[in-house]
Amino acid sequence: MSDYIVNMQGIEKSFGSNQVLHGVDFLLKQGSIHALLGENGTGKTTLMNILTGILSKDGGNITVDDKENNCIAFIHQELTLVNDLNVYENLFLGCELKKQGHLDKRSMYEKATEILMKMEIELDPNTKVEDINASYKQVVEIARALMKNAKVIIMDEPTSSLTNVEIDHVFTLMRGLKKQGVSFVFISHKLNEVLEICDEYTVMRDGCVVATGEVDQTVTEASLAKHMVGKDLSYDDLYIEREIGPDIMRVENLEREREFEDINFHIGSGEIVGFTGLLGDGRSEIFNTVYGCNKDYKGKIFIGGKECIMHSTGKAQKQKISYLPRNRKENGIIKDLSVGSNMSISILERFKSLLFVDKKKEKTFVDEYVGKLNIKVADTKDLITSLSGGNQQKAILAKAISSNPKLVILDNPTQGVDIGAKLEIYEIIMKLAQQGVSFVVLSSEAQEILMLCDRLYVLFHGKVKKELTRKEANEENIMILATGGNLKEA
Amino acid sequence: MKGKIGGKNWKKLVSNNSALISFIVLFILSIMLKGTMFLSVSNIVNILRNNSIIGIIALGMTLIIITGGIDLSVGSQLAILGVVVITVFNSTQNLLLAAISGAVAAIIFGVITGILVAKCKIPAFIVTLGTMNIYRAVSQYLLNGGGLRAAGTSSEAYTFISNSNLFGIIPMPIVYWIICVIIIALIASNTAVGRHIYAVGSNEKASKLSGVDTTKVKCFAYTISALLVCVATIVETSRLGSINSSSSGTSYEMDAIAAAVIGGTSMAGGKGKILSTVLGTLTLGIINNMMNLMGVNSFLVGAVKGGIIIIAVLLQMVLNKE
Repeated sequence: MSDYIVNMQGIEKSFGSNQVLHGVDFLLKQGSIHALLGENGTGKTTLMNILTGILSKDGGNITVDDKENNCIAFIHQELTLVNDLNVYENLFLGCELKKQGHLDKRSMYEKATEILMKMEIELDPNTKVEDINASYKQVVEIARALMKNAKVIIMDEPTSSLTNVEIDHVFTLMRGLKKQGVSFVFISHKLNEVLEICDEYTVMRDGCVVATGEVDQTVTEASLAKHMVGKDLSYDDLYIEREIGPDIMRVENLEREREFEDINFHIGSGEIVGFTGLLGDGRSEIFNTVYGCNKDYKGKIFIGGKECIMHSTGKAQKQKISYLPRNRKENGIIKDLSVGSNMSISILERFKSLLFVDKKKEKTFVDEYVGKLNIKVADTKDLITSLSGGNQQKAILAKAISSNPKLVILDNPTQGVDIGAKLEIYEIIMKLAQQGVSFVVLSSEAQEILMLCDRLYVLFHGKVKKELTRKEANEENIMILATGGNLKEA
Repeated sequence: MKGKIGGKNWKKLVSNNSALISFIVLFILSIMLKGTMFLSVSNIVNILRNNSIIGIIALGMTLIIITGGIDLSVGSQLAILGVVVITVFNSTQNLLLAAISGAVAAIIFGVITGILVAKCKIPAFIVTLGTMNIYRAVSQYLLNGGGLRAAGTSSEAYTFISNSNLFGIIPMPIVYWIICVIIIALIASNTAVGRHIYAVGSNEKASKLSGVDTTKVKCFAYTISALLVCVATIVETSRLGSINSSSSGTSYEMDAIAAAVIGGTSMAGGKGKILSTVLGTLTLGIINNMMNLMGVNSFLVGAVKGGIIIIAVLLQMVLNKE
């Protein structure tokens, strides 16, 4: 038995004429956590899909050192749970326990409880999956992999929707399992997590491995980022001091039952305002309402000094508000439409000549934004689902900013986006803000908020906990407020 | 990518045109079985004319299915619109007025269905199951379960609509069908609302968040469908000179759905092509015609048709698999 549980040598793969993997080597030690890093579209997911046998390889060798089959479990970035079933029914989906031909619900329930307890997660296995939030869905996915006695668990951005407390739980769990000989492949864009949890790393760029080794003292976030992008990166000089204009939006006493209450805020023109907090703080719900998705709200929304009753998303668009929703797969992309159609769906009226959409004008627009946002796409007529996650995100960002909005609401704007693309997105936001476009940035990543925002509101349990200026805010402050604590008066 | 058809591109070409391929296969099969008889001008014209009414209705059905809905009421709509159109015609002897009153009724039907489906969120299957029964019952009540003839001094003008030929050879129903196909195909592929129809069917939530008025889009689809049914009604009643409240339009909804599905329209919404639905209609038409030519017992025609629908869709799913 060798040290390596997985040994991939010279893996090659092409999609049509597009070669995505150029002879990639990947070695995974038994009982280690191995970070697989790289920008979006560099072939990380493809490589892992080849390992699990979802895709066939064009060339190269794979040896998996294990007698049992199905020892590799892949937890995808986009979750694969059935919303209408219970947690334990999801856990046992396809391998239900039976007793005399009937489902043995009691044993399944007990076993599910046992696994969740081992993970130190408080969750009743009887809860319906549609009623639990995204973070718990991820937990259920991990539990499912564990239940199948997986020896290798591949996790594709497992922590992108988890809160810090839950991330700690997952990491503790991973360390425990590591000792029992389980190996992990950890795909993530959060480099601080990589340094915290991983033993080894492999960085890919454009279908090749550019760096690999052990995570030791010499490895830093900066050095990893440099490998990924191929050049030095700096977040520091991103923020640009700007003149903030008069208020474009003011919200007074906004309230919606069971979601949020007593919400007051204002947004100046050209201002970037952050809203942050932990999961369940109600920030997405607030801006869903502001954008006109819900009719039954109390309180007042003023746009440009006039009160507006926000009863439809079409009205919000007319008021020059646009929205980039969270959860790209469910709320963002329209899967049967092409990349171009996804980008232009909000502004088709603009290309109208007589009754019809002028496809030449539309194409010019799409090409312009593909260039502006540096979207990697072979043909804008291809389906949006053929793009990698980061490029999909850029395409729907294009949709949000292309309607000449005065206010753009960005909910989790860099979900599943690599560092290079993240920086590009921030630069675009900053550039537009300089031109007087206002932004609302909803995010639980303090770094992101601190980097971009002129002012921020920290939310806790559906209420504004505190408003902070750029000068007052730091990661520590935000964390204290977001967990319900109070700042000591200086 | 032109001129580079090999491997994957070839496969893509096949799966994108599976409706055309199954149509061609059936066409060649028909020629092999009943060569000259099948290919005769009169037979081909016959197939086209006999299927023009279903063909027109199937266009609207395709739009509705693309939005993720379905309309079971189109057959009953045809009956009740027939009653409206002929009643107005008989009392006024004015063709235009009769057509307009039919169109107004159709728009009302479409908007009601659209609002019930989009605003009240009742599944389209249930809403149209209800309206199907209502329309049929009301038309039977109005005509006491019997029929109504187009009568009066201008009745010849009424029957002329469908019983005349363009250039002396092409029956007018075919011409109406072609006009409808062109209009609907343009709406589907070249207008904003057409794009919105696909978007709503593919991901309603994301469409709404992009500022698309999903209620309006769905109402539009059901209204266009009802208007197409109105055209089909006039074509049908003109051809026969009458409407029958009990038998007119029965099971047309099933043929229209079958035509759309054979044409590759996805029942889950978001996918479908107008021209493929035309091929789907013709596929069904040829099957009917061949049964007839081969003297298959008319009671068995339905069984064969049903089997071929399943095979056609199965074939497409196999071809579409990556």
